[in-house]
Amino acid sequence: MDVFLQVVVNGLLLGGLFAITSVGLTLIFGIVKVVNFAHGEFLMIGMYATYLITAQFGMHPYVALGAVVPILFVLGMLTQKLLIEPLMGARNHDIQIFATVGLSTALINLALLIFGANIYNTPDYSLRTSIEIGPVRMLVGQVVLFAVATALVIGLHLFLQRTQAGRGIRAVAQNRAAAQLMGINVSRVCMVTFGLGAACVGVAACLIAPLYPTSPGIGTYFVLISFVVVVLGGLGSIGGAFLGAMIIGLIDSLSGFYIGSDLREVAVFSVFLLILILRPQGLFGGRLNLSHES
Amino acid sequence: MKLSNILKTTVAAGALLGAQAAYAEVTFGALYPFSGQLALLGEESARGLELAVDEVNAAGGVQGEQVVLERGDAVDNNQAIGEARRLISREGVKAIFGTYSSSRSIAASQVAELSRIPYFELGAVADEVTGRGLEYLFRVNPTAEDMADTIINMIVEKVAPMNGVEPGDLKIGIIHEDSSYGSSVSGHQERFAEEAGLNVVAKLAYPASTVDMSSLVLDLKQREVDVVLQTSYQNDSVLFLQQANEARFEPLAIIGGGGGYSMQPTADAVGHDIIDGVLNTDFTQYVVNKEFTPGIDDFLAAYQEKYGSAPLSGHSLTNYVGAMAILTALNEASDFEPATIIETVGAIDIPEGTTAAGYGIKFGENNQNERARMMGLQWQDGKLVTVYPDDAAAAEMRTRN
Amino acid sequence: MTEQTSTKPTAATLSPTAKRSTGAAIALMVLLAAIFITPVAINDEFVYHIFITICIFAGLSTAWNIVGGYAGQLSLGHAIFYGIGAYAGIMLTNLGVSPWIGMFAGAGIAATVAVLISYPCFRLHGPFFALATIAFLEVFHQLALHFKGFTGGATGMMIPLNIGWEWMVFRERLPALIIAFGMMCFILAVAWWIRTHRLGFQLVATRERESAARAAGVGTVKVRLIAVAISAALTAMMGTFHGMYLTFIEPESAFSLTFSIQIAMFALIGGLGSVFGPLLGAVLLVPITEFARGALGAEAIGLHGFVYGAVLVLVVIFIPNGLMGLISPWFKGRDTSSKQAAAVEAPTEARAFTPPEPGEEVVRVKNLNKHFGGLHVTNDVSFTLREGEILGLIGPNGAGKTTLFNMISGFLDADSGTVEIKGLDGKWHSPKSPADFATLGVGRTFQIVQPFAAMTVEENIMVGAFHRYPNVEDARAAARRTAEKMGLAPYLNAEASSLTIGGLKRLEVARVMAMEPRVLLLDEVMAGINQADVRRAINLMLSIRDEGVSIIAIEHVMQAVMSLSDHVIVLSSGEVIAEGKPKSVVEDPQVIEAYLGKEFTHA
Repeated sequence: MDVFLQVVVNGLLLGGLFAITSVGLTLIFGIVKVVNFAHGEFLMIGMYATYLITAQFGMHPYVALGAVVPILFVLGMLTQKLLIEPLMGARNHDIQIFATVGLSTALINLALLIFGANIYNTPDYSLRTSIEIGPVRMLVGQVVLFAVATALVIGLHLFLQRTQAGRGIRAVAQNRAAAQLMGINVSRVCMVTFGLGAACVGVAACLIAPLYPTSPGIGTYFVLISFVVVVLGGLGSIGGAFLGAMIIGLIDSLSGFYIGSDLREVAVFSVFLLILILRPQGLFGGRLNLSHES
Repeated sequence: MKLSNILKTTVAAGALLGAQAAYAEVTFGALYPFSGQLALLGEESARGLELAVDEVNAAGGVQGEQVVLERGDAVDNNQAIGEARRLISREGVKAIFGTYSSSRSIAASQVAELSRIPYFELGAVADEVTGRGLEYLFRVNPTAEDMADTIINMIVEKVAPMNGVEPGDLKIGIIHEDSSYGSSVSGHQERFAEEAGLNVVAKLAYPASTVDMSSLVLDLKQREVDVVLQTSYQNDSVLFLQQANEARFEPLAIIGGGGGYSMQPTADAVGHDIIDGVLNTDFTQYVVNKEFTPGIDDFLAAYQEKYGSAPLSGHSLTNYVGAMAILTALNEASDFEPATIIETVGAIDIPEGTTAAGYGIKFGENNQNERARMMGLQWQDGKLVTVYPDDAAAAEMRTRN
Repeated sequence: MTEQTSTKPTAATLSPTAKRSTGAAIALMVLLAAIFITPVAINDEFVYHIFITICIFAGLSTAWNIVGGYAGQLSLGHAIFYGIGAYAGIMLTNLGVSPWIGMFAGAGIAATVAVLISYPCFRLHGPFFALATIAFLEVFHQLALHFKGFTGGATGMMIPLNIGWEWMVFRERLPALIIAFGMMCFILAVAWWIRTHRLGFQLVATRERESAARAAGVGTVKVRLIAVAISAALTAMMGTFHGMYLTFIEPESAFSLTFSIQIAMFALIGGLGSVFGPLLGAVLLVPITEFARGALGAEAIGLHGFVYGAVLVLVVIFIPNGLMGLISPWFKGRDTSSKQAAAVEAPTEARAFTPPEPGEEVVRVKNLNKHFGGLHVTNDVSFTLREGEILGLIGPNGAGKTTLFNMISGFLDADSGTVEIKGLDGKWHSPKSPADFATLGVGRTFQIVQPFAAMTVEENIMVGAFHRYPNVEDARAAARRTAEKMGLAPYLNAEASSLTIGGLKRLEVARVMAMEPRVLLLDEVMAGINQADVRRAINLMLSIRDEGVSIIAIEHVMQAVMSLSDHVIVLSSGEVIAEGKPKSVVEDPQVIEAYLGKEFTHA
């Protein structure tokens, strides 16, 4: 029983990890309707930035938030402006996927060029200390991650539901043309939303860096899982993404322990495929709407 | 004939011969992954070859000709084939040295075989490389099988007695990343373990890019595994060691199979105190009994001078040793015809304890070097130290605590 | 008009368009010849290898393009089929079976897998489909690693080096080039054939506007499954050859996401949806990548990859239609200028209308009901349509007219009630899907015009014609006839997107008319067009009816309704509130109230 509890707790903590990395993608994919294959690379950039700041200035990684988050916000805005917007008029909307794939490749190799293939380790400032609650063991850093993920999700949800800016964003998500007619500057909203999504990834990066080794390829694992989580939760639904992350984390942990580590990915992707086939709008998504026109 | 004419002819002939001697070159191929994912260690491996070539050239070359290396980039399997073709047809290499990656080696060597050009594998470890009955392929380095053999021997001869238990009482857990490297080593580990009467309670694979190994750690902990054998790259080595430590999973011994376990950045990332006592098996590394590996200091010095730093891993040394042996042997041959090369290399007989890597060289079945072996290593005080076999050991093996 | 003699045009009288097409064909021949002759002439092993690689990638990308380009389903998991082909070839070779047979076995398995995977995923659009294919690929990859006994696991599988044509392993390079080149040409031929015949038209139509395609009688799921099966089979065959060429296959390189993306990228850069774009992409990119790797690869780790990624981004932004998009204007000579000269004289006044006696009932709608959540959008609606009748369906906005249309054309299921159509056999049928309705001869247009933008006017109409004439030449002839009738003959070669709204409406009708329907459902064809066009449209509808087609028309333009309809039904809030002759309906106080409000009933 103890073991089962530990597996479940591991799954939830993993869920927190997936939640914090995916919530940004919910904004980008769900609202700006961009399939950002470079999402994992934003995380990678954030992690390297965190490493540099902590190594150069001896600061606690959480302090690095102050620099990393704005950097990624700007990066997100630039990506939307320079890469995605020019492609809006293309006849074939799928082209956007190739653009972000190209961006992903370029960024991974840029990291290789600058940092080399070796792993870098951000000092952990005792975030790797274990806490024991009964039979279950967790790391301080993981608990913080989970807490921040929850706070971020709630915060974003409130932002989207209660503020004027949030309403504007949701309007653009639902009907771009109508939003434009209502006087909303769609281009600016998209830029800000993309930036916001990237900034969320920046938060994730600072929290993850002390817990996991940084390497150019770290993003490639997260990007697929993030898409799974976002689709499972339902496009544009922040709460859905959180729940989706928990579910995927649990499936990953449970299947890893009870079935076998090599089949974990099969389990996760099989669930993903079932959702896509049986209920593509996910748990909380509305009518599936990926068109740019309406 | 008039004396002046004879003189002129002699001088002319002498000049001609001298000119040929000054410009006589023989080209060999250096086929490694120089770009892409494997580039880091591909480049490192090639450096060993280059140092061997420098040394041989300084001593007068091979059969009086200076050796020129032509690089080929084996970034993927299709490319490996293309580059092998290019080296053979365009550059006219007499033989190809390579390749670090087993799949690149397998792909490229079949090209060489069909073109009847000798292929010398200096660093790839999968069995299949020499398992195909190829005539023109020779492998000098130890294989995945040798690695597993060394590991199991270490358990039986050292780990068990040091911890005061019978080998058969130990619970062995084998974990590995799921690519060719991890799969081949772990397959042999399982086999040798069973032959030695050891109790393997788990054999688990995982994707190398994983970000979380907590389920796996928990699984091993639950099964009360005493000895963990991991074959992994950097990322997963770090993850496992950290997460095992955090989960308070403390087996009697953890033995890595090269890869990430041999690299300093791994030790730095995990923490020297946490990795202390962790065992490893790999190509000969640099903290070793120098009497068993003559020439290793010269190698280190040459590496430092040419590349401005210490070697990244033992790959360069292994490639160096293999290349040296072959080039030195070829120096005694009559020409560079494929048949001659094959015959000469096939006859190499170098005893143990005389090369910079420690092991000797004699090619047996399938042209695999039967004297090749891996070394047993241990992280002690933040450094990777040779502890097995005893004649190569630079320090005593310790228990983990 | 002078009679057109149908003589074959001689070279001297070829139109500029035809001349450019011949030019294109010649350029293609030259390119293909160059691909084969260059390595043979240079006779260098390495050059052979480069050209064999070009052939392999050109073949794979062209095969991918059938799904990704023609059908518009972005598959990033095509490596699954490549891997199946390679493994099938190598496994069977190890069992003593020639890879030539293995090739077909692999093709068969791949086609089956493709259909099984794609069928549930076709409902997914754009990025979701791509993500699903990636997920399938990863699953295959992991399974290939897991079932070691079957696939050799991570260390892969090799073949013994048996030399000879039977085993596809050779000492010299020429035979390998012959096979690679031959397969590439075969794949190109298949792709070209698909594009220029019915399947291709239907795929492009499905890609452009799925609902319009369905209304035109295209079985959109069926054609995509066929495309996917063909594409997978061809990809697998090339995979078998490549596996034999490498003599070695492993899950890492066989089921590789990077490789899938690469294949798709060559097609993208060459020109998605064009037949020879992928070939062009491969011809250009393979040597350039070689060269770049040689120049940059050894410089610094990551430099080559960085440049590669950056170039991809730039190409996508600046040349989104690919290389073919850049050079095809030279070869196709498409008439993109919108010639707005009135092709058909605008009549000064609409034709006087004398309704004939309507015939037998041909459409029977009984007690149709539909709810959207709590909203009762269609409330117990019943009516019939007689043969040769023009039935007007009017009502204020939001009355549920288009919903009703959707239910009588197979696009929406009613909650209760029946829709019956009398077939040619005289029996009553209850069709369910748009394809069923189309088979029974019911055609419809859409309120918001849905042209297939990537095609010409002629091609648009042909999509409808294919419903009756499977043969491409017959369909073309039928399309031309329909175009003549609709007054679209001068625009046959123009891009559909270049027409005015009036032209687009006519095109919409033309496409449906090419299906030779018996019942025509027109959804606001008069909306948004000018007076002259309205008169033209009225005459058009009358001439259509004269041919024996029965029409139900949703209309707001009262002039049209009054002058055309034999019978009018008024719908308001989902219910039929009045029906009868146009004149009486217009004076019905309930109708006036519904349109204008109570205040006007006594006006």
